[in-house]
Parts: sequence; structure tokens; C-alpha cells
Amino acid sequence: MKKINIQYKPLVLSALIFLTFGCKKTLDINNDPNNPPIEQASPEVLFPSGVMGTAGIVGGELTILGGIWSQYWTQSNASNQYKTIDTYNLTRVDLNGPYDRLLSGALADYNLSIKLAQEKSDWRYNLMATIMKAYTYQVLVDLYDQVPYSEAFGGAANLQPKFDDGYTVYVGLLKEIDAALAKDFTAPLTTSQAKGDFLFNGDMDLWVQFANTLKLKMYLRMVNAKPGEAQAGIAKLYGDGANFLATDAGIAKFEGTPNNSNPFYEYNIRRLNTTTNIRASRTLSTWLVENEDTRARTYFGTLSPVAMHQGDFAATAQEQPTYAGATVAAQSATDPVWFISESESYFMQAEALERYSGGVGAKAMYDKAVTAAFAQYGLDAAPYIGSEGAYEYNTGGSFDQKLEQIIVQKWASLPASGHTIEAFFEQERTGYPKNSAVYSTEDDYVAGEWVYAKNGVTAGKFPKRLVFPASSRDRNKNTPAEVPIYTKVWWGK
Amino acid sequence: MKKLLQSLFILMCIAGSAMAQNRTITGTVTDKEDGKPLPGVTVVVKGTKNGTQTGGDGKYALNVSSPSDELVFSYLGYISQTVPASGNTVNVTLQSDSKSLTEVVVTALGISKTKKTIGYSETTVKSEDINKSAPVSLLGGLQGKVAGVTISNTSGSPGGSTKIILRGYTSISGGNQPLYVIDGVPLDNSSIGSDESYDFGNNANDINPNSVESMSILKGSAATALYGSRGSNGVILITTKKGTAGKMVVDFSHATTITQVASVFKPQSTFGQGWDGTFIESENGNWGPKYDGQIRPWGAVIDNAQLIKPFSFIKDNVRKALTNGTEFNSNISLSGGSEKTTYYFSYGNVMSDGYLPSDNDSYKRNNFTVKAATTLGDFNIEGSVNYVSKTQKFVAQGQGISGIGSSFYEDILQIPQDIPIKDLRDYKNQFFNVDNYFTPYAENPYYSIYENGSRYKNDRIYGNVNFGYTVNDWLKLQFQQGADVDNAGDKQWHNKNAPSLGSYNDGGNVEGSKRAADVGRVIEESIKTFEYDSKLNAIFKKTFTDFDIDGVVGVNYNDRGSRFLTTQVEDLAIPGFFSLSNSANKPTSTETERHRRLFGAYASATLGYKNNLFLTLAGRNDWSSTLAPGNNSYFYPAASLAYVVSEAFDMKSTPISFFKLRASYGETGSDTDPYRIYDVLNATNITLGFGNIRFPVAGVAGYSIANTLNNKDLKPERVKEYEFGGDIRFLSDRIGLDVAYFNRLRVDQILPVPIDPGSGYLFQILNFGKVRVRGIEAALNVKPVKTTDFNWDLTYTFSRQRNMVMELPAGLDKVIINNAYDADLVAIKGKPLGVFQAPGPEYSPDGKIVVDGTGFPVVAATNKEYGNIQRDFSMGLTNMFSYKSFSLGFTLDYQKGGVFYSGTADLLNFVGADVKSTFNDRRPFIVPNSVQKITDANGNFIRYEENTTQISEGKIDDYYYPTTNKALVYSNRILDKTFLKLREASLSYTLPKSIANKIAANRAVFTVFGRNLLTWLPESNRTIDPEVSNQGVDLASEFGEFRTAPPVRFFGASLRVTF
Repeated sequence: MKKINIQYKPLVLSALIFLTFGCKKTLDINNDPNNPPIEQASPEVLFPSGVMGTAGIVGGELTILGGIWSQYWTQSNASNQYKTIDTYNLTRVDLNGPYDRLLSGALADYNLSIKLAQEKSDWRYNLMATIMKAYTYQVLVDLYDQVPYSEAFGGAANLQPKFDDGYTVYVGLLKEIDAALAKDFTAPLTTSQAKGDFLFNGDMDLWVQFANTLKLKMYLRMVNAKPGEAQAGIAKLYGDGANFLATDAGIAKFEGTPNNSNPFYEYNIRRLNTTTNIRASRTLSTWLVENEDTRARTYFGTLSPVAMHQGDFAATAQEQPTYAGATVAAQSATDPVWFISESESYFMQAEALERYSGGVGAKAMYDKAVTAAFAQYGLDAAPYIGSEGAYEYNTGGSFDQKLEQIIVQKWASLPASGHTIEAFFEQERTGYPKNSAVYSTEDDYVAGEWVYAKNGVTAGKFPKRLVFPASSRDRNKNTPAEVPIYTKVWWGK
Repeated sequence: MKKLLQSLFILMCIAGSAMAQNRTITGTVTDKEDGKPLPGVTVVVKGTKNGTQTGGDGKYALNVSSPSDELVFSYLGYISQTVPASGNTVNVTLQSDSKSLTEVVVTALGISKTKKTIGYSETTVKSEDINKSAPVSLLGGLQGKVAGVTISNTSGSPGGSTKIILRGYTSISGGNQPLYVIDGVPLDNSSIGSDESYDFGNNANDINPNSVESMSILKGSAATALYGSRGSNGVILITTKKGTAGKMVVDFSHATTITQVASVFKPQSTFGQGWDGTFIESENGNWGPKYDGQIRPWGAVIDNAQLIKPFSFIKDNVRKALTNGTEFNSNISLSGGSEKTTYYFSYGNVMSDGYLPSDNDSYKRNNFTVKAATTLGDFNIEGSVNYVSKTQKFVAQGQGISGIGSSFYEDILQIPQDIPIKDLRDYKNQFFNVDNYFTPYAENPYYSIYENGSRYKNDRIYGNVNFGYTVNDWLKLQFQQGADVDNAGDKQWHNKNAPSLGSYNDGGNVEGSKRAADVGRVIEESIKTFEYDSKLNAIFKKTFTDFDIDGVVGVNYNDRGSRFLTTQVEDLAIPGFFSLSNSANKPTSTETERHRRLFGAYASATLGYKNNLFLTLAGRNDWSSTLAPGNNSYFYPAASLAYVVSEAFDMKSTPISFFKLRASYGETGSDTDPYRIYDVLNATNITLGFGNIRFPVAGVAGYSIANTLNNKDLKPERVKEYEFGGDIRFLSDRIGLDVAYFNRLRVDQILPVPIDPGSGYLFQILNFGKVRVRGIEAALNVKPVKTTDFNWDLTYTFSRQRNMVMELPAGLDKVIINNAYDADLVAIKGKPLGVFQAPGPEYSPDGKIVVDGTGFPVVAATNKEYGNIQRDFSMGLTNMFSYKSFSLGFTLDYQKGGVFYSGTADLLNFVGADVKSTFNDRRPFIVPNSVQKITDANGNFIRYEENTTQISEGKIDDYYYPTTNKALVYSNRILDKTFLKLREASLSYTLPKSIANKIAANRAVFTVFGRNLLTWLPESNRTIDPEVSNQGVDLASEFGEFRTAPPVRFFGASLRVTF
């Protein structure tokens, strides 16, 4: 008979020692091998991500929205994809993507870039990221009127940030731009850093021009709501001898391959089963044809597009037999996405000169704008702006007539800009192109005037904004009460 | 006390070894019912350790010392007999017992226990029940047979996933699948590599059900606490077959089965191809004129020729387009051994082909098992190695991959019901090819079968070694090392195609619509998973006069993880050549590695009193790598009580043959997935809505702040559950009823909670909330007739679970579990887990639908509820008649209540194939009971007026689709989940021994069977079987399906022979 002499105590003890000390090391395997820790973030990797994030949304879904609402294009009658947009039937569950991705994507990346750049006193990235943040925020707040700004990007510390009204956001952004411009950002970027600047390849002078042009745009937005501030701000820009953009600001680096293409193309052509969802709208096409505008070929691939009346997708083949052959919007995988185009910069300057300098130099600026608008497609504007030309500047006209001419030309310059949403904003700000009292099927319809979409659900009222998305409504108690989509935003006319 | 125990023990040992042995008794033990020899019966001289076991022929030989000795014959499931050891030959016949007292079941950590001693619900299923209808997956044959266990085949393709849920859902994050443990070792049940388009099955489906001896299903926390983290949703303990002493036994089985689509949607049969009431030959819709039977041309005009056919509804159009597949399931096993060493070898082969033409939906599997055990004095070693090799081909389902290719089912749904689908199979025919397929809005479904495809191959080895050391007669030490290593790879390919310039599908059709080109794609994936599990247990068991105690103390170390590498390239250069190099584009790769470790220490003991009252106490502490240091150690206890009333009191005079009451309480703690503690950056991938922009861009790398905010303060999740139950049997166990009531509470759940994007993130990993599930389970077994020749056996199961979300994170009133097309499956406080919310109409105060100026309903400001996923109840009925050598059985499964979202219904409504879309005979109508809201210029409300605006003919299709009528369409997409199914039917014939002997067999059984034979769905669901899903196998899958393959039914015949 054996004696049982298992020593429990040492066993238990050694097990305990093993568990307390052995465990710690063995269990320390929870650092994600697939993704770098956030502590390793740098402006060099964040900033290009943010810029592409802005381009992806502004040049993608928002360009579809802007292009349909600006009546360049309309929903095909043979498909379904964009009916909610073309009927103004966007509710809190629609278009959550742009809102989510701009805030948690591009803007969060700019925000961290700025923080890191400031910690390192790297004022070049501070400037670039601040300008892109301001540009992106301005698009967002113009769409929603109010967005989280002062309390945004708090992470776990503030899961339900308050919303700031659009004016507060504008004031804040302008202040941020000015602060960034006040720093010394003259040290050149390295070659590889410059490569990561998709806009200007590290040319800080161009970034300053972009900043000035953006400020000009923001002050012009304020002309209805804050006329005094708008005028003072623009006067200061001119007083300080600000240089404005004389080149396109944006991204022209798309390779045209899957996952590396113009976002509007990737979305609407490559990733949908039919490529014919977006057809020419009568609103733009009749205006182009009436003016014998050669840009029709750029926008629609033909000088005589067969167009559909805006939002008339429910028409049957008997009612509208030409719709089957309606012209599809022309687009390509390598199209650029401009944030502010060269011609747009000139149009804004023309407007500013008309408003605050008694029109001195406005005609020259207008002519430059239209010339640039044509030249970007290799077309010649001279016959149009010259004497008796269709677009000859109405020097003798009233301010409103000249403003209309400037804004309508701006509208006509933007279909292929990658930020058609700007044309929608400008119409809300200025009322141009005018809203038509009749539908485009009527004889007395004036070409180029915006018509209320045939199947619009807002009883004749044009959309002026987006409603707050479900992703905010469901998750943040501070989300402001919903107002109808046809309520103007704070700077609206 | 300790001293006393020790001396008692020593005394017993001395008594045992003091015996002298001087006479040999031999004999045979047979079964009283059929007279067959019983192998493995324990024969012991009463009051001694001296004993042996009968061999394969039922014979034994044993030395005895005194004529006054008595022999005790005992065998599981039989009444023990004590017989005087007189003479040299003692033959004994044993009678099978009421199983209730002696039934031995496997409990946590593989410890066998007499069932009567356990204080929680446990169900054992035997090999025969598992394999009756030759399923190829482990639980495929158990649907409707076990109370509280929901088993669904979510896929309509061979080798697809099986979803198992025990006692309903409590985990919002979606970890509701049970843990599978095979011979004591946890088994990987992941399904990495599967997604909404491809279902390559969950890994538990790799197990060959033929090698399973029994499965023990442990549902409650008290039963599974020892498994810790992964046991919180129940455990399925699998005991595999092993060799027994005696001559070699050869088992052979083969089944040949025909596979066929079980149920398909039933379309409306009134309106044919077209849109807006007009016949349009290029349309994918059934919105055309009424069928008139007239012969009409259809499709493209080629060389001035066009096809003709009658404009009439084709009955069974989809069913005719599918074929019958075959499934062969063959198994052979060899087993045997001596008293000291046993062996078992088996080989199984499955070749299964689904109901789509071609073998592009197929499943081939080879299973090898080698198992051996030997005893060397006080040591024993047992080991098993299993090798599985599987090749599966799957035809993509779900939503077509935009820009890459469509999916078969989406294409099928988009064929008007007057077009013969079957004929399109000739997909290269000039009328049906890429250029001229009748519609530019979809592709020829057969194209995606023959030109696109996928192949998943894996090699998996799992097994374990067990070292046992018997310290003394009350203590055993056991060390077990298990391993499960899987090396899988899959390839998915889509061919490139584009309608030729100017062809019918390049705008040459009457609508001028162009179909986007499919650029083609190749994906190569490598999936490696591993799991190593080590356990050291001390197992003790001791009996005193009135008390007995048994239990285990142990430690466990688990190390598991996976590596997943996926590489893809889009836009093929050479069509039909599927290689990563075949493109002008660069391939992109993503790598995901996951690794986690866990230490556990545990103890459990059962104290028995007078063999009728049993108290089990257990506890476990875990240390996990996935939680932050400081929060990663957690302890949880369990206790259960079993009281065998029929043993405590003499109930012989009553009809009660067995009566037991149970009560238990258990907790389990869970860790979380790896890498949820520290915040990270992600390689930048900008999602556009459709499509992406992925870095690197223009030679620049990009990283972006991850959208999910991780959390250093995560605590372990907890499940707390109590359970009461009883098991009562009457009339010598002719009637048995087992009932359990449980209440399970899951708290501090860990999951990504959607947060406001203004925070800079979209999700945060949080501990939150409480979800409770309460329910009852009952199993009634009745043997109305029990005679020598004829037996009737009925088993009825019932279960009902009610779950409720008790708490959500601060500030949130709901959490979205899954969604599609604006229909959300959400968790809302105070409601069952999994409520459907979707847009609904706005109502005027007097209950009328408010419409806008176009006559369409206005969407209400808040989402409407459309029911929840919870069943009212589930019932199963298994009926078995056996007459002499014949047995006839069937199983019905009835699941009542609950709703699901159907992506198939969505598309059927879009194309006007849904019966519901024939409202008002498709003539213009005014939305019933509707009003218009009159407002002033500023949008202020003035009054309601009766609505007089009609939904015109051109807009009737829009009425059924969310782009225009969000308010009303969801009730046509969120459907009743009720079904009744004939799950299984079988007729078996056991060949007479004389015939069996002629082929040198001991036993031969021939069976004809069917599985999933008939499905009854409620009138409101003529769309799809609610069991299918392409949303995985957990809570998210309860959302429903998104254009999933319909389910399969099986008819077959099998032969099982034992040599």
C-alpha cells in the first residue's frame, strides 16, 4: 500500500505564482497587429487621407445631389437610383453617408493633423489642414445649417456634442484660417511630403491663394444674413492685397483604376448595374443649345442633347417617346474633382468688385472667368463674351442683372467641376438661375430657369438643405429639431 | 475527519488485496429482450475489487475464492443482477432498465455522471438519432428534436452554414452560438471567409456525424460555467466513437440522396413583362399588361429575327430552371481491441451537389479518424487524430457585387414570369448572350453559374492526447492536450464581360439603357486558424455511508487565433483567365491576424446524500488577453441541486417510476474579441456609397483614424441564470416529462455602439445593457404501445422564450443590430431583443394616412415598428413506429411567430412579381383612407382635406418601392417567420439475421429517408423560407435574408452494415 503524499500546498502556490506572473506576459498580446496604434499618427498619413475623404464625398454623392438639384441632370425614366433626390424626398434615413464620413472621416483626420502639427510647430501642415477643414466644414454646414463644431471630435469625452449654428461655425472657421495664415509656414516640404499634397504639391503660395479665395467665398455667402461683416471681410482681403486662386484647386490625380477613380464615376458608372441612370436635364441643355454653347459636348458628349424634363421619370413611353434615347451625362474615370475652380475664383472676384468696388474691373474679371470656364475644356470663349456674343457682359445693366449674369455663368461652368453642390448653394444665396413659374414643357418656359421637379413631394417648394441624418438624430439628443427640406439655411436669400 | 477518511480508505484497500483467488467461473451475458450477447458488462465479486468485463461475444471469465461469493453484473442502461457464484458456469440475462436511474451522461469537462445527480437540464442524443437520415453536418438531423434548441440550415447550397441557438438570444453583439467541445477539446467554429455573397459553412460542420457516439447538449449557465467565457451560450459536448475490447467490428454505411430545391417564391400570375402597364421587351419587370396568351416576339432583334413565345404565365418557372443534385455519403469504421488497448479507425466521404446545374455548387469532404487508448498499470493514454479535407464550390448569392458581376438569385428574380428561365441556360446563344440578353438591367442567371465561381479548400487536423494517472481509487490525475489547426484557402472569380458597342444591351434596346460592364475580378484568400487547449485536472470521487462526493479541480490554458490574408485584383485583361496577375491593375491585399489567450482555474464538486440528494458547487476564474490588465481577471460561480424524490420516498405503489426535481444557479463571464482596448489607425479606405477610394493614391500612403473608438475600461460580460426543472416518469417510464424553466440575464455586454459622427467616430466599444431571456422547455415522451413486435414512441418538444432588453447605454434609446434599405433590426429598452423598425406612414389624428401632393403617403417623423424576431413558441414532434424489423418515423417542426426582412420580397416588389403588387388590379387608385395636409406658404398646418389624388398607372410600380413610397412598402418586406416543416421521414428495415449473415454481417439496416421534405408557410409569405439567411449564423442573421438561395430538400436511401 502506497502512502498518498501529494503536496497540495506547493502545487497551489506554484500555480498561483505562474498565474500571476506568467500570465501577465503571456496575456500581453492585445496590440492590434493589423492596424497601427493611434499614437503613431502623423500629418503625413492623415492629411492626404482627409483630402481624399473630402474629394470622395464632395466629388461623389454630393456631386450627384448637387447636379440633380442644380438641374444639370435628371433621373432616367428607365431606372430608379436617384428618385429620392429628384423628388426632394430625402428624409433622415437618406444620405447619411456624406454626413457620417465627412465628420468621422475627413474632418476627424484634419482635426488630428492640426493638433499634431501644432504640437510640432509644423505650420505648413497646420495651414493646409486648417484650410481643408474649413472648406469641408463649410460644405457640411451649408447643407445642414447647424453641425457640431465647437464640441466636435471629443471622442469618448463627448459622445453627444452640441450643434453650432452656421454663423458661429463660419466665424470660427475664418478665425482658424487667419490664425494659420499668421504663422511662419515658409519651410519647404520634403519631396515625399510634397507628394502627399494632392492639390499644390507643397506650393505654400498656392495654399495662401486657396485660403484667400475660400475666405472670399465664405464672406460672399454672408451677404444676405450679415452684409456688414461680409463687406468688411472682403474689404480687408482687398486691402491686404490678397492673392486669389488663378488655378484650379483640387485633385486631378485619379488613375482611373477601380478604387482609384473619380468618385462620381466610381459610384455612378463602375459600381452600378446600369450606366444610364443620369440623363441630361432640359433645364441646362435648352440653355446650352439656345446659346449654342460648345460645352454641351463636354457635359453631354453632343452639341444637341436629347434631354428629359426635370424629374419626369414617371412619364410613360407613349407620353415621352424621346426619353428612351435621352442623353446620358458624360463622365470619365479620370475626371478631376475641383474644390474651387479657376473660373469660380474669377466669378467670385467679379461679384465682389460689382458689390464693393462699384464694378471697377468687374467686366475684365467676368471675361476672365468665362474664358477660363471654356479653356479648361480646350474651348474658346471669345465668340461668346465678345461684342454681341451670347455671354457678353451686361456692363450697363443693374447690379441684379449683372449678378444674375455672373451666377448663371458660374452655374453653367460647374457641371463637370466635381463640386456641383456649389451651384445649388449659389442659387439659394442669390436666387440665380431664377426659379421658373412654369414647367419646362410649357411654351413660355425660359431656358435655363429652374423648374420644380415634376414629381416633387414638397408642394412646389424647392429644396434648400438636407434634414439631419438618422445617424445623428438617433444617437445625439442635441440634434436640433427637424425642419422641412425647403427651409432656407441661415445665409439663404 | 480527514484522518478518519484516510483510515477508512486504507482499510478498504487492505480488504481488497487480502483476498485469495482460486476458482474460475465462466459464462455469457445476454440481453433479455433479443438474446444478443452483451459486450462490456462489468462482472465483480460482490464486496471486492475483483472483477472483469465481458468480451465482444458477451463471455467472461473470473476467479473467485469462496463458494459463498456473489457475482454482480452491471451494465449501463440495464438492471444490475447479483447471482451466487455457484458452479463453473454462470450465464446471466440482463434486462434493460428504466434509464432514469442509471443513465450516464457526459457533463462539463467530459466528466461522466449519472444523469439523476445533475441539477440542470441536459439532453443527450445518440448516434442513431444524429445519423438517421444521413445528414452530412453534425446537427443537420436534429431539427425539431430537442427542446430549446433551434437548428436552421441558413443556406441553400451544399456545405453551407448551420445555425444553432440554445435558449434564444441574449447577446446583442452576436456571440450567441454555443461552444462545441469534442472529446473534451474546444473546437473552432468560425466561418472566416464567408460573407453575404459566399457561405463556406461554419467549421463545426466539418465533423463527420458518423463518428459521433453521442452529443450532450448543455443549455444553462450552471451546466456550462466550467467552460467559462465561451460556455455562456451553452455547450454541445461531442463524444466520438471508440473501440471496445473484443474482435474487430467493421461498420459500413452508405447513403445516396437526391437534392432538390425545397420551396421557391410564388409569383403573381396575372401581369407579364413590361413597365407602367406597357409591354416593353427590354424590361426586367412584371409590370406589363395582363397575360393574354397571344404569341409575341420578345428579346433582341438579331439579323432581323426575333424569338416568339406566348404572352402567358409559366407555372413553376423557377423550379423548372433548377435541377436535381446528388449527394453520396459513405462511411467505414474499424474498431476493436483488447482489454488494455483499443483502437478505432474511420473514413467518411461526402460528395454533394446542389440543385443548380453544373457542379459549381458542390461539397466534397473526406474525414479520417484514428483513435487509440491503452492502459499501462495506473497510467492510461488515449489519443485521437482527425483529418478533414474539404472542397466546396459556391455560387454567389445576395446582392450582386457592383461593377463586378450580378448574382444568380438576383438575376432569377428579375426575369418576368412569361419568359422561360430554363431556356436561358444556353447562355452563349445569340439571343441570351451578353450582348442580347433580353434586359440590360440584369444578366443571364446562368452566366453567373458557368462563368463566375468560387472554390474553398481546407485541410484541418484536430485531436487530442490524454494522459491519465490513477493515484488511488478516489483520485485520478488527467492531462489533456488538444489541438485544432485548419489551413484553408479560397478563390473567387468573376469573368469580364461587356455588351459590344451598339448592341442591344449597349443602348440598342427600345429604352436606350446600357448595362454596365462587368470588369471581372479574382480574389485569393488564405485562412489559417489554430486552437491549442491544455488542461490539467484532478478528478476525485469518494463514497461514505450516506454521502458521496465527486468532483474536479483543474487549470486550463487556451491559445487560439487566426490569420486571414485576402488579395484581389479587379478588371481582368484576358477574359476567363483567373489569376492575380491578369490585370493592368495592381492587386490589393489585406491581412487580418487575431490572437488571444486565456488561463482558467476551476473546481467543481458534487456532494450526494443517500443517493437521492445531490448538490454541485462549481467556480472558475479566467484571465484573458483581450481585456485590459486590471480588468482581465474574473470569477464566476455555479450551484445546482438535484433531488430524486422517487429514491427518497418509496413510490412503488404509485404509477410514478421516477421523479426528480432540479434547481440551479450559474454565472459565466466572457471576455471580448481581441484588439478592442487600444485605439488604432486604419489604412485609408474612403467609402463612397457605391465603390471606394483606397490608399495608396498617387504613390502616397494614407492612414485614417479608425471609425471605432476602443475602450480601455471594458469589463467582462456576465451571464447570470437560474433554472428550475423536473423530470417525472410514469408506468415504468412509458410516459416521461421533462420540464425546465430558466431565467437568463446577460449584463455588461460588450459591443460596438453607434455614436454620433460629430464625436469623430461612428462606433464605440462599450459595456452596456442588460438583456433577459426567460423561457420554458418541455419534452414529453410517450410509448403508447410497447409489445414484442410493435412499438410506438412519440416525443413532443415545446419551448417558448421571452427576451427583453432591460437596459441600454446611457443616452441611447436603441442600438442597431443590422439593417438594409432603411429597415433596422434594433434593441430597444423594454422590448424584445430584435425589433424591426422602418419608415411608416404619417397619420392624421383620426387615423387616416397623410399623403403629399403626388398622392403618395408621407413618411412619419419616427420609424414604425414592424414586430420582432422572437418566436411565440416552437414545437417539435417525433413519431416512431416499429414493427418487427421495420421502423417508420417522422419529425415535424413548427415555429410560430416572429418576423424577418426579406431582400427577395424587396426585389419581387420592385419587379412586380409579388402577389401583393396586384392590388386593385393595377388600375389607378387613391390610397385608401387618406387625407392631404393643407399648409400655408411657410409650411404651417391649416387643415386636413380628403385626398383625391390618384396613384396613376405610371406610378403604380413606385407605390411598391421605397425610393418613392417609403411609408408603405415595409409591410410587404417584413414578413411572418412562421413555418411548419416535415423535417425528416424515414422507413428502416433491419434485414433478418440469416440474410445479413450471408454477407458475413451481423446486422444490416436499409433505410429510405427524406429531410426537409415539406414546408408550409403562412399565406402572407409566398416569398421565401424564413430560415435562410446570408447574414451569418448569429443574431444579425435574424434580420432575415438578402436574396439568398432557397433551401434544399433531400430524398435518399441508405444501407448500414455491421460486420
